[in-house]
Amino acid sequence: MSIKNMTKEKNWSGQKLVSTDYLLFEAPREKHFMTGSEVLKEAIKRCTVDASVSYPITPQSEAAHLIGELWAEGYVGLYFRGENEFGVMSEVQGCAMAGARTVTTTSGPGTLRAMENFPTWSGTRIPCQLILMARGINSPLTIQPDNLEVSFLLETGCMIWYAENVQELFDMSIAAFTVAEKPDVHVPIITAVDGFFVSHTREAVMLPADDIALEPYDPYAAPLPPIDSEMPPGRFLRDPFVMKSNYISYATHASWQWEVRSAVERSKPYARHYLNGLVHTTGEENAELVFVACGTAVHQAKEGQRELAKLGIKSKVVKLRTIRPFPHAELLEATKNAKYIFVPEFNVVGWLDKEVRTSLYGKSDAKIVGRPRVAGGMSMPAEAILKEVFENTNLKGA
Amino acid sequence: MSVDIYKINPEFRDIMPQEIIDLEENATWAGESVEKRGINDLTDKKEILEEHSLCAGCPEAAALRYILAALPLPEETIIVNSTGCTSLMFPHIALHTVHSMFGNQNAVASGIKRTLDWRFPDKTKDVVVLAGDGATIDIGLDYTLQSFFRQEKITTICFDNEVYANTGGQESGSTPKGQVFKMAPKGKVFDKVPMWELAVTSGVAYSVKLTASAPKKVAKVLRESILIAREIGPTYIHLYTPCILEIGLAANEGLWEMKEQDKDRFDDFKYVSDEAADYLKKCKKEGLL
Amino acid sequence: MANLGPAHYSPYPVAFYDDLLTPPEGKALLLTEIVDEEVAMREIARVMLTSENATIFPGPQVLYAWNEEAKKKATLIKEMSEVLNAKMIPMYDYRPKYPKIDAEVEINPNHPNLTIWHNEIKACIFVGVHCHYANVALKMIRSETDCYTAAICGLSGHEDAMATIRDQHTKEMARFIEIAKEVKKELGK
Repeated sequence: MSIKNMTKEKNWSGQKLVSTDYLLFEAPREKHFMTGSEVLKEAIKRCTVDASVSYPITPQSEAAHLIGELWAEGYVGLYFRGENEFGVMSEVQGCAMAGARTVTTTSGPGTLRAMENFPTWSGTRIPCQLILMARGINSPLTIQPDNLEVSFLLETGCMIWYAENVQELFDMSIAAFTVAEKPDVHVPIITAVDGFFVSHTREAVMLPADDIALEPYDPYAAPLPPIDSEMPPGRFLRDPFVMKSNYISYATHASWQWEVRSAVERSKPYARHYLNGLVHTTGEENAELVFVACGTAVHQAKEGQRELAKLGIKSKVVKLRTIRPFPHAELLEATKNAKYIFVPEFNVVGWLDKEVRTSLYGKSDAKIVGRPRVAGGMSMPAEAILKEVFENTNLKGA
Repeated sequence: MSVDIYKINPEFRDIMPQEIIDLEENATWAGESVEKRGINDLTDKKEILEEHSLCAGCPEAAALRYILAALPLPEETIIVNSTGCTSLMFPHIALHTVHSMFGNQNAVASGIKRTLDWRFPDKTKDVVVLAGDGATIDIGLDYTLQSFFRQEKITTICFDNEVYANTGGQESGSTPKGQVFKMAPKGKVFDKVPMWELAVTSGVAYSVKLTASAPKKVAKVLRESILIAREIGPTYIHLYTPCILEIGLAANEGLWEMKEQDKDRFDDFKYVSDEAADYLKKCKKEGLL
Repeated sequence: MANLGPAHYSPYPVAFYDDLLTPPEGKALLLTEIVDEEVAMREIARVMLTSENATIFPGPQVLYAWNEEAKKKATLIKEMSEVLNAKMIPMYDYRPKYPKIDAEVEINPNHPNLTIWHNEIKACIFVGVHCHYANVALKMIRSETDCYTAAICGLSGHEDAMATIRDQHTKEMARFIEIAKEVKKELGK
């Protein structure tokens, strides 16, 4: 396998190169039955990925194995196991800086071990993709579904998208490369799913054929030169100290950080297109009772919404698909008739509840209730959602 | 294309500063020269290192100048750095370089080297790591050794000044036993970490310990290590560049300190694997050395 | 508003504070308005031709002869400077320069305001500067100076400039020069 086999029409593995629009919206699809880990393999297979670095941690290990198989099968350019997540994310950084379309995966404690890398990634404007299969963090140790680690990622300057199910993971992880690589965006993207609920659950999915793939990444259509000695300036450090005592420009650091946040904002129009909107809503459009959620909590909220409908109570579920950038305008529009907003979450801190409150502060009169919150592998049955609704509103079933 | 990134478009020549014009006209790039580059160029050629901000007389600055002058293929060389005194010089190196974080330099370099080999299968791209003793041996030890285990084809250079100098003079793993520094107010209680030996145990094809007292020797070791890294496997250079500030020497005393240590802590250590030795012989025959 | 500075103490970005993003393909951004490319081209030319010490800041992508497009762009930018009666000051690399820059003849992304202050530049064009560094600099210029900034970008444009045109390759640059000539004639400059 060699990059030399790539032509204008085909990538190095012989797949026909197509646009993201074609791959996501136009190519005929067939039904398959697979887990989140398996579907991720199918997505990466269609993305002309140059590089992937892996490390074992439950529940993302299987996804990482399967990307390794893609390398062995000739679809991914280079692949290896790193020494730990801190090392892996630094290796990913090296790959992406040197001009590779790069993907990696992690979960829970691995995320925190790697933490220093994430703001460094966004600061140096690499468009790599991290698939996060969330599992919570120690102590005590858990490997079960819980997305507490996402709260630690919120201010890293990386984009964060959240997929509800296996199908969304497939489509999102393809769109993620495209949006992250837009020259005016060009920041890392974290595509999150809830571990086990998505990574290990088999669902029906519609997939395009596997003989087509995304156009390759162009590292020269980027906001910074790649580290490959092929683009001026020849004198180029990625990235310089700008605030050291004998060279003072504190404002550069401030402007640089603003620029990273600006880049995340610039992803909005692209994400609206490739994700069909930053939020999706289901249920009664004008309902006074609104659930705002992401990931599999959305699935449970929809269950609650159906049960409430049986009791004659109208409600609506607003699924946030992008967390960074946060879809402020879409959330405000979707909750404009709300009297009650519930934010069900798979973690004890209620990070999404805080996000929703911050976003709606001064703009909505709705009562916001950050419940139910379950964690450590607990399930979120519809009954628990209904109980919170009846305890915290004056809504009564027929 | 790599030398072309230094060529100035004629329309702009009159507005470019002399240092940039000199880089195009009077630096020694390997691509266009039949003559071998080397430290003799330091006398009359444009240096790849521009004015920097290290202390006057710092042996690190001299050592970096030797290294840059001796790179066999500078226009295709990436240098990966880590936080420390050396990073004060990095913005001023006229090559593509990286400062990422503190300690992850060999991990970043691994990703860069593998990607460049993937993207440019017909080109030689040298990847060199240059970091201090804190970065190489303390905070980054795992990543340094793991890159050796994995046989990454990179050259790792440790500028050992036996102290955390950039943060104000704290003990490092490389500080000699008994030395009083900050964070070791009663003197360091354990021995200097023998990184050059750990490198051998960890699988490098070439490991050398020396001081920067003899420029030609530094240049030779650098050239050998890069050539071996291209073909055989990881190479390691452990170079004494004393912090004259923290051990109380004057600006003109660094050289003597290094000469002293040539006979003591930095006496000769050179390991060359059999395969690497054969390869060096071949390089010599072909005029690469 | 992405209007003339000095705007704020901190280099606030318009994307974050004003919901102003890069213009869509085929369009340009003029202050807070999305406009046709030609409208923006005319305005950039007008401002450059009527402002004191108008200056073009060419960046590494056009200063160096690293590919054919760069060579052609260099010729066009030189012509552009003549048509616009503009000086040229290069941003030849992005390093924080030690010990300091010569503000009269060079511009550095880490303190672009120094060059603008020193030369009393009231209008400028960024061209061939990598987008990240252009954006870092443009925010600081808007924060610290009253200079009108225009960005002629080969990629997606720059909302932190007061005027930005995007996807500018040799054909588009030649068109800009033709429009600038017309504007110059109209202004009698």
